[in-house]
Amino acid sequence: MTQQTLRPARAMKRHRRIRPGQAVAVVFLTLMAVLILLPIVFTFLYSFFPKSEMEAYLKLRGNYDATKWMDVLISPKVASVRQYYKILIEEPQYLKLFVNSVVYTAAILLGQAAVVPLMAYALSRFQFKGRDALFFVILMLMVLPFQVTMVPSVISLRFMGIMETPWAVILPMWFSPFYIFLIRQFMMGLPNELLEAGMMDGAGPLRCYLHVVIPVCRPILGAAVALSFADCWNMVEQPLVYLANRAGDQPLSVMFNQISIDGADVAFAGAALYILPALFVYFYFQEDILLGVTLSELK
Amino acid sequence: MFRHKKSVLLFLLPGLAGLAAFYLVPFLGGVYYSLTDGTFQNRFVGIQNYVDIWHNEMFLLGLKNTLELSLLCAPFIWLFSFLLAVTLKSLGRRAGFFRNALLLPYLMPSSAMLLIWLLMFDYGGVVNRLFVAMGLDRVLWLEGSALRVPVVLLYVWKNLGFSVVIFAAALQTVPDAYYEYASLEGASAFQREVKITLPLMAPTSFLVFLLAWVNAFKIFKEVYFIGGAYPDQTVYTLQHFMNNKFTHLDYQDVTTAAYSFAIIVFILFGLMYSTRAVRAPSDA
Repeated sequence: MTQQTLRPARAMKRHRRIRPGQAVAVVFLTLMAVLILLPIVFTFLYSFFPKSEMEAYLKLRGNYDATKWMDVLISPKVASVRQYYKILIEEPQYLKLFVNSVVYTAAILLGQAAVVPLMAYALSRFQFKGRDALFFVILMLMVLPFQVTMVPSVISLRFMGIMETPWAVILPMWFSPFYIFLIRQFMMGLPNELLEAGMMDGAGPLRCYLHVVIPVCRPILGAAVALSFADCWNMVEQPLVYLANRAGDQPLSVMFNQISIDGADVAFAGAALYILPALFVYFYFQEDILLGVTLSELK
Repeated sequence: MFRHKKSVLLFLLPGLAGLAAFYLVPFLGGVYYSLTDGTFQNRFVGIQNYVDIWHNEMFLLGLKNTLELSLLCAPFIWLFSFLLAVTLKSLGRRAGFFRNALLLPYLMPSSAMLLIWLLMFDYGGVVNRLFVAMGLDRVLWLEGSALRVPVVLLYVWKNLGFSVVIFAAALQTVPDAYYEYASLEGASAFQREVKITLPLMAPTSFLVFLLAWVNAFKIFKEVYFIGGAYPDQTVYTLQHFMNNKFTHLDYQDVTTAAYSFAIIVFILFGLMYSTRAVRAPSDA
């Protein structure tokens, strides 16, 4: 609705004079964008520094001599991809951690795909007893901080005997209340005619779900996938508690601490490799995130 | 809207079963732990555990730090994202690049940013260079209470963009005609923002603040990255306390601490919600 009503207004805007405030806005935003992007750019840049240069550079850290500075390195004397070679081929323990991250993220996203939209559909498109109460419970779970919701999860994970196994990290995440809420809010906004048309053609609720609702929800589903990916890829709290004694099963996100001490030369290459999939996901789902948030009843 | 459909159970079942199994049932079951003493006989001790935890120094320290850190992050994100969203809107169609750049960190693993962060905030690092250039003294960012600065900034760096996007989406729904009419009536740019944008943004602001705050309670990984598992006590969070108790399998303390925190959160939200309810009629 709002999209349509906005269009004429936007068209008019083009003819408007450029306000003087816009120059200030551009300067401010450029500054912000540079500040925000620089850490990422430098991580990639530093990943190409050879071992000798990077080790020497990192040794300058933690020096309390007020006369000395750390140089801001811009370019390596000799660019090197040897660190990447080391991570990917020579020392498989890094690759193993990376694969752990991939497995957890994939398993969580697949489970969520099966459970979450279905639940959101039931909560938004059906009238049944206790629906509002159930939604209220989900809202409450959503606003409870992780330190609180973690406790019941641990109790039942122990009860089921799957604590200290990869399932402990994966299973509770399948039922993440935030994504149920996010998708439900979007589905609430779908026009009734859409489903009525489906029912006219003789489709039951399941067919409506698969062939009408899911395709229409593409933006919010894309947004949910991207946001959930970001969550899983940067997971720290869950593996630290659920896999406390299983160092080999940790995802890479937990181990950067350790790597930055043990393998300073490969740390930047590892970080760059870890950022790369997130960049792809971002560019692939960018429009969906924006559209999903814009169209859903989040605001 | 489907009514009286038995099939709804089929759609609900997987999600409901999981929510019940991992959250709801053990949440209620956990109350039992918080009311017993955890010894062999497992006697009922009433609220003794709660009394104990409120005298536990580490719990209080973690709670205090978590609340303080979240109150540093959330208002900062809230205010800054609103300013950025308004600025983005003033650029119209040319805002795309900036908006995307702001959102990008939300998808980035902050774990991978750890090293560059340590370099930036090193005693001889870029941040201190800027400080000296501005005529200030160098600061030991990675020790003591100054550790909060890189921690909060890493958190803000990652989470700012999402709030900007929500605000920007809400700003789009304000009809341009309102502003044009106000201009015709002689309202200044500042007046237009205060009299039109702010009231219309009230519900969104509430949501953004709520989300930002709830998420900021989770602040732990930033501390863990920069300060390690046993950080300075100015950044010792509730999560550190819980992790420690979990390693000792101390269910009594863990459940009691969790429910105490839950009660605090609900009281805070109740207060926020009631103040909003009071203001709501004037929006209309």
